[in-house]
Amino acid sequence: MHPATLIPAPDTIPVHWGWLKFFLILTFYLHLLLMNSMLGIGIIALFKSLFDRSGSKEYNREISAKLPYTIAFTVNMGVAPLLFIQVLYGQFIYTSSLLMAVYWLSITAILIIAYYSAYLHHYTFDSAGPARSVFMAITVINLLVIGFFFSNNMTMMLSPETWARYFSSPGGTLLNLGEPTLIPRYLHFILSAVAVGGLFMALVWKLKPHAHASACRENIKQSLNWFLMATLMQFGVGTWWLLALPRHVVRIFMGGNTWATAFFGLGLLGTILSLIFGYKARVRRCAGATLLTILCMVLMRDALRTAMLEPYFSLGMLEIDPQYGSLLLFLVFLGLGSAAIVYMLKLAFRNNPEVGS
Amino acid sequence: MNYPVWELYFSGGGFLMVVIAVVHVYVAHFAVGGGLFLVLTEMKAYRENNGDILAYVKSHTRFFLLLTMVFGGITGVGIWFTISLLSPTATSTLVHTFVFGWATEWVCFLGEIIALFLYYYRFDKIDRSSHLILGWLYFIFAWLSLFFINGIIDFMLTPGDWLQTKSFWDGFFNPSMLPALVFRTALCLFLAGIFGFVTAVFFARPHLRNKMLGYCSRWLIFPLPVMVLSALWYFAVLPDAVQSMILGHSPEIAPAVALFGGLLPVFLILALIMRLKVPARVQVVAAFVCLMTGLVYMGAFEWIREAGRRPYLIYGHTYSTSVRVGEEAALYKDGILKSARWVQHRTVTLENEQKAGQEIFRIACMGCHSIGGPINDILALTADYSMMGMQAQLNGQGKLLTYMPPFMGTGDERWALARYIVRGLHNRQEPTRDTQELNEIPVEAPVFDPAIAQYVLLAWSDKGMHGMTDNDRFWSFQPPDSSIYAQLILRGETPEIVTGGVTIAYAVEKDHAVPSSQVDFWTYAKALTGRTIPADTGLSGNTLSGPMQFDDNLMAFHAEHLPVVPYRNDGSFNPYPRFKLEARDGDTGELLAQTSLVTPVSTEMGCKKCHGNARQIDGRPNMDDHTAKNILAVHDRINKTDLLSSARKGQPLLCQTCHPGNPPDVKGKSEHLSLSAAMHGFHANYMGDLGDDACTACHPSASDGATHAFRGIHHEIELTCANCHLSIQDHALSLLAGEKHAGKKTRAEALMKHLASPSVDAHDRIAPRTAWAGQPDCLNCHVEFEPPETDQVEYNTWTQTADQRYSRRTGDAGLMCMACHGATHAIYPARNPYGEDLDNLQPLQYQGAPYPIGSNGECRVCHTIDMEDEIHHPNMLGEFRNTR
Repeated sequence: MHPATLIPAPDTIPVHWGWLKFFLILTFYLHLLLMNSMLGIGIIALFKSLFDRSGSKEYNREISAKLPYTIAFTVNMGVAPLLFIQVLYGQFIYTSSLLMAVYWLSITAILIIAYYSAYLHHYTFDSAGPARSVFMAITVINLLVIGFFFSNNMTMMLSPETWARYFSSPGGTLLNLGEPTLIPRYLHFILSAVAVGGLFMALVWKLKPHAHASACRENIKQSLNWFLMATLMQFGVGTWWLLALPRHVVRIFMGGNTWATAFFGLGLLGTILSLIFGYKARVRRCAGATLLTILCMVLMRDALRTAMLEPYFSLGMLEIDPQYGSLLLFLVFLGLGSAAIVYMLKLAFRNNPEVGS
Repeated sequence: MNYPVWELYFSGGGFLMVVIAVVHVYVAHFAVGGGLFLVLTEMKAYRENNGDILAYVKSHTRFFLLLTMVFGGITGVGIWFTISLLSPTATSTLVHTFVFGWATEWVCFLGEIIALFLYYYRFDKIDRSSHLILGWLYFIFAWLSLFFINGIIDFMLTPGDWLQTKSFWDGFFNPSMLPALVFRTALCLFLAGIFGFVTAVFFARPHLRNKMLGYCSRWLIFPLPVMVLSALWYFAVLPDAVQSMILGHSPEIAPAVALFGGLLPVFLILALIMRLKVPARVQVVAAFVCLMTGLVYMGAFEWIREAGRRPYLIYGHTYSTSVRVGEEAALYKDGILKSARWVQHRTVTLENEQKAGQEIFRIACMGCHSIGGPINDILALTADYSMMGMQAQLNGQGKLLTYMPPFMGTGDERWALARYIVRGLHNRQEPTRDTQELNEIPVEAPVFDPAIAQYVLLAWSDKGMHGMTDNDRFWSFQPPDSSIYAQLILRGETPEIVTGGVTIAYAVEKDHAVPSSQVDFWTYAKALTGRTIPADTGLSGNTLSGPMQFDDNLMAFHAEHLPVVPYRNDGSFNPYPRFKLEARDGDTGELLAQTSLVTPVSTEMGCKKCHGNARQIDGRPNMDDHTAKNILAVHDRINKTDLLSSARKGQPLLCQTCHPGNPPDVKGKSEHLSLSAAMHGFHANYMGDLGDDACTACHPSASDGATHAFRGIHHEIELTCANCHLSIQDHALSLLAGEKHAGKKTRAEALMKHLASPSVDAHDRIAPRTAWAGQPDCLNCHVEFEPPETDQVEYNTWTQTADQRYSRRTGDAGLMCMACHGATHAIYPARNPYGEDLDNLQPLQYQGAPYPIGSNGECRVCHTIDMEDEIHHPNMLGEFRNTR
């Protein structure tokens, strides 16, 4: 059975695929930043509570307060790319999701547990004592499991040649464990989360009014150490991933495709710069270089997807039934919504003489 | 057919959707109404300068945040995951059509999250007006989320002009969008009150608790009229077919509709309790009862909306099997296996039929059906089907009962699917027919000595094939009701048909003399027929022995409506009870002639093949309680009757009480289809592709059945039912055309809609006929009594009146056709499996051969001399062709 015969026929799209690709990359980028921060600070908090109890309480209290709404924004910002990927690659992701349906659907329950556990960690931070580590462990382990399921799905959707396994296992219990890139890809994301989580905490402490206090400086240093260690490890894991990729895909990053090669080069440069800035404790610059690096990684990831699906599909094959009015509706609401959000933030954080009355 | 199907067993059938969707939707509506509740309650606190109320708002906000943001938000994503796994095809349509609608909703979701976090975390930290603005903005974002999702959800129910234009705006602003929005908005406020109870009820101070509970109860009471009115508006804009589905056409909706209407007073009572100063414990209980009742109410509403779309996921666009409208013809032609991407077997073969059936089941059924699960369990729903019944169900599915889509596949695929369900899932290998030990009955023709006999007595049963039901405590299709006829001929060169001066007595064989010991008809006769009938007595008052009456028109004696049953007094099955007739001189009582005949009657009706799992109880081909009840339940469900409960109360009905038919003294209701038209018309929709099996499925005519009632010469020369009666479609359509002609247009056309005649190309070319009057005419084939040039009767050529039927027809000399040729379906020479010549008693008695009376030059039987003229009918002196 040729894999191509299993790929469902796609539906028409309402605007040129470029628009959808733009929103996919943009929202995924934002989601990835949030996801990395969320998972990273969770891992750091768990590690600190287990292995570095001295002086970790205030650090973890900070994480404890931020983790719940980081989860909320990660989920929210994940909805958009999940929507756009369905529009562009629905025939692949619906299928791969279905092949691993049991795990894919379980994400809902796992996430609820992780989320409530994060709130429990927050609300019982002082009352639960060391037991609060259990809540953080539950949150982190569940988030790691979700990440693993996502890595499986995102690789399986790119591998129609593995889909025929469905016929011997149609119950939605397939994972993509035979995929050579699965583990390095997953580890790459986890390390990225730890690095960004460290950077996120460095920014948190840096933005404190008392950022120059010694405790803050120590926290910034600790946070950046997490960033540096994880990022250095990425060189190994990243290389592993790269080598595990099919030859024709590797080639696009090695000059075969100008844009892909440029993203790769720029990403490497950003990584090196972020390491240098991180080492020098230049938090904002480190953050800037990291943002650049992650953007390059997102674009590389997209190039990888395009290359993997190239034998079967390209976005140019999608038919368009133009509905640009609906795009305009979205853009208008995006503008109004953004303005409202800015307005709300201003309202919430302006100086209020009336407070307390 | 585009995507693989997640093979769910127990948890299929929408179970996952119900679990995830209902709880999410419940919380999500609260997330909207609760936002307004928060900000208005906060304003109330400021207005009344009441710190307690403000504290309540703050604590309620935390509860609100933890419930709506975490549980509500994640289960909302969970619904996306779920629908894309259960129906990627429909999900893909929703996503591709409304991608920017969803994206806009995502912006609102983002605004909602930020507003709520700020509202919660900045409580008491910013000025009142700013805080209230955040509250209002939260509500606006939340309501806008509802606005966008509502439009897309209702698109699935009423896509409106989108079906033609494919325009985003036509799809979004669809016909039910606005009423649904009003309803859901009111519902949001209503639920805000319910959730308000849950937090307010825990206030320790009674005064504050009562005050807030009273306040919350107003959130239930005020939106209620809006909910009721907008629900009616919502319903009014739905297409007729959807309305009909909701009003009971779909059996799965009825309980939800009852809950949807019936729970409203419950809410009012609970709201009232909350306004009374009852003990705190009562308030807590009432609050949680209210919470759970709200969940049930939400579930009922969503269930109605979901199931109202049947047989579609997106009305008029995507069937619940994920087949899109427009793909049907290719599926019927090429089949599911050739059209679907995710199958291994591309054709059905003898070797793979069960595996192929499983793949077909997965693709065509698993979208809605679980296997052994709590919702739409295929095992429970098909428990009563035999292989034939399962095939018939698949064939008729989606035609009359439209809550399921038609089975869109080839005949082979239908067979494979039926086989998988019956043999694969149920592991049944049931017999296809009622089996019966065919104990040979000794055939003893009375002695006839042509040298001295003065009379010839010819007798017959007017029905050569006759079915009856024997589960009278639930219902009756046909009471014990057989009739026999006789003509007495005074022999001579010019014989005479005796019309008077004699008595002819009949008596059933003694083994069949006590039918009341075998069937319950007489126990329930009053309910069934409206009058009390003594035991072992027929509908006309005749018993199983007595004198025959003379009919001047027929010039024949008759004993009508005799209570003959196919059971001997010892309970054994015998579908051919014998009667003995004696003709005596009216004055002297001298025995003039005697003969015997069989009166065919059988309880071998095939109902159980579809309604009772083809079970055979006690070795008799009878109708067991399960089958009888199932039939009533199906009738009740489809026709909104209460026959089953009536029967359970000891008031069973005779079908003819409503549906006109035999017996003629039960008139029926004139607005109803005749029993024959209703039965054939309904079942032809299911059994239309079964060929002759469609006839033998219900009538006791199968050559491998318990009765073998089709046993005459036509069976011998391998004709089938269809040679005379045509296909079940033609048979039914002509009856329905007759009913339509009689003014029952709507009911007849409903059954005709999906029936195509194999004989004519349009319904208006079907000649109407009436049951028990318009029948096949022998002379259609035997033109001028000559050997037929065809063995297939032409369509639209029925007898015009009941008296033109073979059973009532008379030859040129006054002898009735049956007198010489035997009963219908047992035309001489018949071959009866219970005794080869059991139906040929008189030919054997008078001629020593099983051929028609007087055939092969046996005119001497009556005339005492050889005859040269064909007095009775043309061609009667020819040599009988079909000799043994």
